Amino acid sequence: MSIGIEYYVLLSMGLFCIGLFGVLTRRNALMFLMSVELMLNAANINLIAFAFYHGNLTGQVFALFTMALAAAEVAVGLGIILVLYRNFRDVDVTVPTTMRW
Amino acid sequence: MEGAFSYAPAIAAFPLVAFVVALTFGKWLPKKGAIPGIAATAGSLLFSLWMLAAVASGEVYHETLYEWTAGAAASEVGTEGIDFTFGILIDPLAALMLVIVSLVAFLVHVFSLGYMNAEGETGLPRYYAGLGLFTFSMLAFVYADNLLMAFIFFELVGLCSYLLIGFWFRTRSAPSAAKKAFLVTRFGDYFFLIGVVAIAATFGTVAFAGDDSFVAAAETAINDGDTLFGFDAQTWVTITGLLVLGGVLGKSAQFPFHTWLPDAMEGPTTVSALIHAATMVAAGVYLVARMFGYYALSPTTLAIIAFVGGFTALFAATMGVVKDDIKQVLAYSTISQYGYMMLGLGVGGYVAGVFHLMNHAFFKALLFLGAGAVIILMHHEQDMWKMGGLKDKAPVTYYTFLAGALALAGIIPFSGFWSKDEILYDAMIVGLEEPVILAAYAMGLAAVFFTGFYTFRMVFLTFHGEPRSEAAEDPHSIGWAVKAPLITLGVLALVAGVANLAPVAKIVGADITFLEHWLDGEYGAVEGLTYSAYGELVAYETGVIGSEQLTVLIAAGLSLLLAFSGAGLAWKLYNVPEPVPYKDRLGTVGDAAEANYYQDEYQVWLANGLTRPVARAADRFDQTVIDGTVNGVSTASLFGSSWMKRLQTGIVTNYAALLVAGFIGLLLVLGLYGGWFL
Amino acid sequence: MMIEALLAVALVGALVTFVAPNRIAGKLAFAISLVPAALSLWMFAAFDGSGNALLDGTLAFESQVEWIDLGSYTISWFVGLDGISLPLVVLTTILTSLAIMSSWTPIDNRESQFYGLILFIEANLIGVFAALDFFLWFIFWEAVLIPMYLLIGIWGGPRRKYAAIKFFVYTNVASLLMFGAFIALVLGLGDGVTSFALPEVANAMLNGGPDGLFGLEGTTLASVVFVAMFLGFAVKVPVVPFHTWLPDAHVEAPTPASVLLAGVLLKMGTYALLRFNFTMFPDQVETYAVPIAAIAVISVIYGAMLALAQTDLKRIVAYSSVSSMGYVILGLVAYTQFGIGGATFQMVSHGLISGLMFMAVGVIYNATHTRLVTDMSGMADRMPVAVGILVAGAFGYMGLPLMSGFAAEYFIFFGAFGAGFDYAPLFTALAMFGIVLVAGYLLFALQRAVFGPYRLETDYEVSRAPLHDIAPMFVLLGIIIALGVAPDLIFEMITDAVDPILENGGEL
Repeated sequence: MSIGIEYYVLLSMGLFCIGLFGVLTRRNALMFLMSVELMLNAANINLIAFAFYHGNLTGQVFALFTMALAAAEVAVGLGIILVLYRNFRDVDVTVPTTMRW
Repeated sequence: MEGAFSYAPAIAAFPLVAFVVALTFGKWLPKKGAIPGIAATAGSLLFSLWMLAAVASGEVYHETLYEWTAGAAASEVGTEGIDFTFGILIDPLAALMLVIVSLVAFLVHVFSLGYMNAEGETGLPRYYAGLGLFTFSMLAFVYADNLLMAFIFFELVGLCSYLLIGFWFRTRSAPSAAKKAFLVTRFGDYFFLIGVVAIAATFGTVAFAGDDSFVAAAETAINDGDTLFGFDAQTWVTITGLLVLGGVLGKSAQFPFHTWLPDAMEGPTTVSALIHAATMVAAGVYLVARMFGYYALSPTTLAIIAFVGGFTALFAATMGVVKDDIKQVLAYSTISQYGYMMLGLGVGGYVAGVFHLMNHAFFKALLFLGAGAVIILMHHEQDMWKMGGLKDKAPVTYYTFLAGALALAGIIPFSGFWSKDEILYDAMIVGLEEPVILAAYAMGLAAVFFTGFYTFRMVFLTFHGEPRSEAAEDPHSIGWAVKAPLITLGVLALVAGVANLAPVAKIVGADITFLEHWLDGEYGAVEGLTYSAYGELVAYETGVIGSEQLTVLIAAGLSLLLAFSGAGLAWKLYNVPEPVPYKDRLGTVGDAAEANYYQDEYQVWLANGLTRPVARAADRFDQTVIDGTVNGVSTASLFGSSWMKRLQTGIVTNYAALLVAGFIGLLLVLGLYGGWFL
Repeated sequence: MMIEALLAVALVGALVTFVAPNRIAGKLAFAISLVPAALSLWMFAAFDGSGNALLDGTLAFESQVEWIDLGSYTISWFVGLDGISLPLVVLTTILTSLAIMSSWTPIDNRESQFYGLILFIEANLIGVFAALDFFLWFIFWEAVLIPMYLLIGIWGGPRRKYAAIKFFVYTNVASLLMFGAFIALVLGLGDGVTSFALPEVANAMLNGGPDGLFGLEGTTLASVVFVAMFLGFAVKVPVVPFHTWLPDAHVEAPTPASVLLAGVLLKMGTYALLRFNFTMFPDQVETYAVPIAAIAVISVIYGAMLALAQTDLKRIVAYSSVSSMGYVILGLVAYTQFGIGGATFQMVSHGLISGLMFMAVGVIYNATHTRLVTDMSGMADRMPVAVGILVAGAFGYMGLPLMSGFAAEYFIFFGAFGAGFDYAPLFTALAMFGIVLVAGYLLFALQRAVFGPYRLETDYEVSRAPLHDIAPMFVLLGIIIALGVAPDLIFEMITDAVDPILENGGEL
């Protein structure tokens, strides 16, 4: 038996929207990072689901790439957050607006 | 005499070497560069005399020495290539002029020993370098064999005049006068250069002489009825001739370009002598004589030359009447005398014009050097009203000056009479047939009276009467270096007229018109550059009153009568122990003459009142409109981006929201175009 | 390999100078710059090329190596010299050496960087004149801007940032226009060309022209490209009304940068006009001759009028450069041997004379710390030699015969007077009025600044200039007079390269 592709897409969409909601509403940088992770994972689900659906491995390979990318991104992101905290004594993303121009 | 001409380049090269030597080593030389200058001009004089002798023995020289550049250029008359070269043309005219120029330059150098060195001037190496370059340029100009070379040295003459008029650069007036001299003559040279370019582009040659000269080409074009640059050949020759004439009017200080010359008196008096007698001012008239064949092709141009000459002669003479500065009087007399030469050439009196050029070189050099001697005597006072009574204290100066004055005034038998009379005679016989020339003649004749008057006013105020200042009571002494040139020139002013006693020849029938034979190529001549060749080209009718002898007598009598009456009036008014100015009695006429008929005013207005405001307006336009547009573009983009950058709030959430909104918007647009919602 | 050697010496020299201590940087850079100068003089003596580089001429010192293959187009390292580019290369190397010597006095901070940049500019300028592949040429063309931007922006006067940015942005935007136009042209030529090599493009242009692109007819495309490239180069030349960056850049730039800017950088614009517009588009030249001639005349007269209104000596020379470059445009559009040859001659001559003028003004500025003619008077009293050279340079600028300026102007006027376009004599006569105006503003400036009684408004003691300030000017003056007396030193070479251009439509 197999679950229809549309359910995977719905799951992925749900996960993505949660992540997006987090990005749009949260002010804590750590929460931001987590939300971004959720969105990436939503994409991963899509990749793997469609790979399964089409019966080739390209999507799975790309999912692996994405994971590696996500790991790197978290490393850099945490580094930035640490620096933010060191400079602004806070991890609120609305604080360092002085860096905009 | 065969080999003489191979040394011709040395004539100009000597002063050039003197220029370099004076400029580089002058500081360390005894007399600060005067010795090389004197040696060089003496060398030039000797070589020029040698050339004169060679021409007298029947040889002429026309040789291209150096190719400046050559190239392909299609001309209007069909030739395909053009050569711009430096060459030497020594024909009777050039040989004569070489001697005049090098003689005057030599005497001026000698005189400078007394005038500049003895007076302890500073910057003498610069002075002698300038004189050397001046002499070089003029000599090279004189024997130039083509129009471009003539223009090149014509311009260099202008440079030298700038440097020498501005010799006393620490004053305010000298640099200003130098600038004015250069600018006014440059304005004339602008037309000259157009003329050179036009002639080169029309005929594919700029040579003065020979079968491939532009004169010959122009004659052919006129005979063939060619169309040149959209004009018929005759008109085009007139146009180009007038363009070249622009340079002549500028350098020879003819109306309306005469204004620079009186200002040029700011230079040392020796420089004035050189400029007026033999170099710069003479260059203009010499150029007309040099390319007389070209002007002879165009009666219109000739008539304009004659009319401008006659007008300038009278116009300048009337201004000379009211001047108080001895050098100013001489300056206006120069303008006036060159007007006579132009008149002479313009009526086809080629010999008369050249004759007067020669005589004038001698007596005007004499008068200027005499004035220089007077200035030494007077401890550098130039106002004639502060002089007086120098006659007995400086007899050499007085008698030589008097000889020059008699020549200038045209009193028989001094040289000036013969040449001026010949010009007026030539003008009169043409004028009997041509009304325009008659008007020019009338003005020239009237100028004789004024010439006589101002000349003797100057002599009487300077040398006669009682001393009117302390300087005049106790004049400075003058040395041999001053006296020797004066005496040489004084003798020449007296006897140079023998060269061409045309009236005597006509009346008694003796063959004593040596200069006419000389210029007509009876010794040596370049074909086409002779008096008779020109005579065939000039299209004037001539008339006589009664017989030729009677006409000669009437012409000579009229001019002598006027000269004597002018001189006599001066004698009556000013040859008194305590002369007084009569200028006030002239009223507004006197004021106008004193102010040079407001010629300076309008020309200064053209430069300062018109050009400079226009330039400032252009600058404002440039700063506001053009640069404003450029800066406006940058300001607009800066302003736009200052609004745009507000989108960058610095809050990451906003960016994410924008991203999403953009994505949704894109989806909508794609959807609309893709027809999903239909 | 001679050109590569030139480039290598200049580039390596730039790097060496960059790391050298400030103290010796000036002398070191001068010593290094003598190598390209000597090499280029040797090349001048050994020149064996003939004809035009773009039109099947024999190139001297040619080398061509394939560099990048873009599929349907190849880009190659293609350099070589002909009679037009060689004099400009020699001008560049000599002027660089002299400019370096003349900066010993005024440059007193970050010397090693300054001299390094100057050598870097030299390399790129040589590249611009030697490159014969469009891509390669464009790299050099753009690379020139960077060091000049820095030279003005770091060592410049009070408004240096404004001037540097204006210079950079203005010329860069113009380059973009030109670049786009040229790419469009190459695309429009279709299969006719397989590389960016200029001779190939020129050949394709003269044998048929472009097929069309983006729905434009071939001839329309050619006209559009011609106009766009003309505008692009016009900014660089500069031609009125695109000239306003020039006076700002000149006034703010340090003297040696001004020397190179006026001496060589402006010639890039006219050189490119000659190479691209006037070589590849003979038909368009004929069509647009009258408007271009009008622009030339306006540049001459308007530039001179602007110069007349200035009181800053450097601004006067800067505006007079606008005027002088107008003559070059007039000569180019004349499309005769003397016209184009004279224009090229004027590029060299103006490079020498304006370089001399900027140096002389710089020497006076070093002593007085002002350039305003209203602030000084009678400088001839204190600095006789420097002022003597300034006066000589001014007369050179005025086109005094037997100096190179006269030869150049005379050739241009003569070439333009007999040119084929409508009213050519009238345009020429109008442009010639520039010789009166130039005498006017220079003599006015001289009268006020260097003659008259001595007076100086700034608190500096004026003394004679040191020998190393004077020597470069004497060298320039010597070259100027040599070229004026014997223009055939380079004019024969130039006309040899100009003639093939005229066979395609001009009247020889």
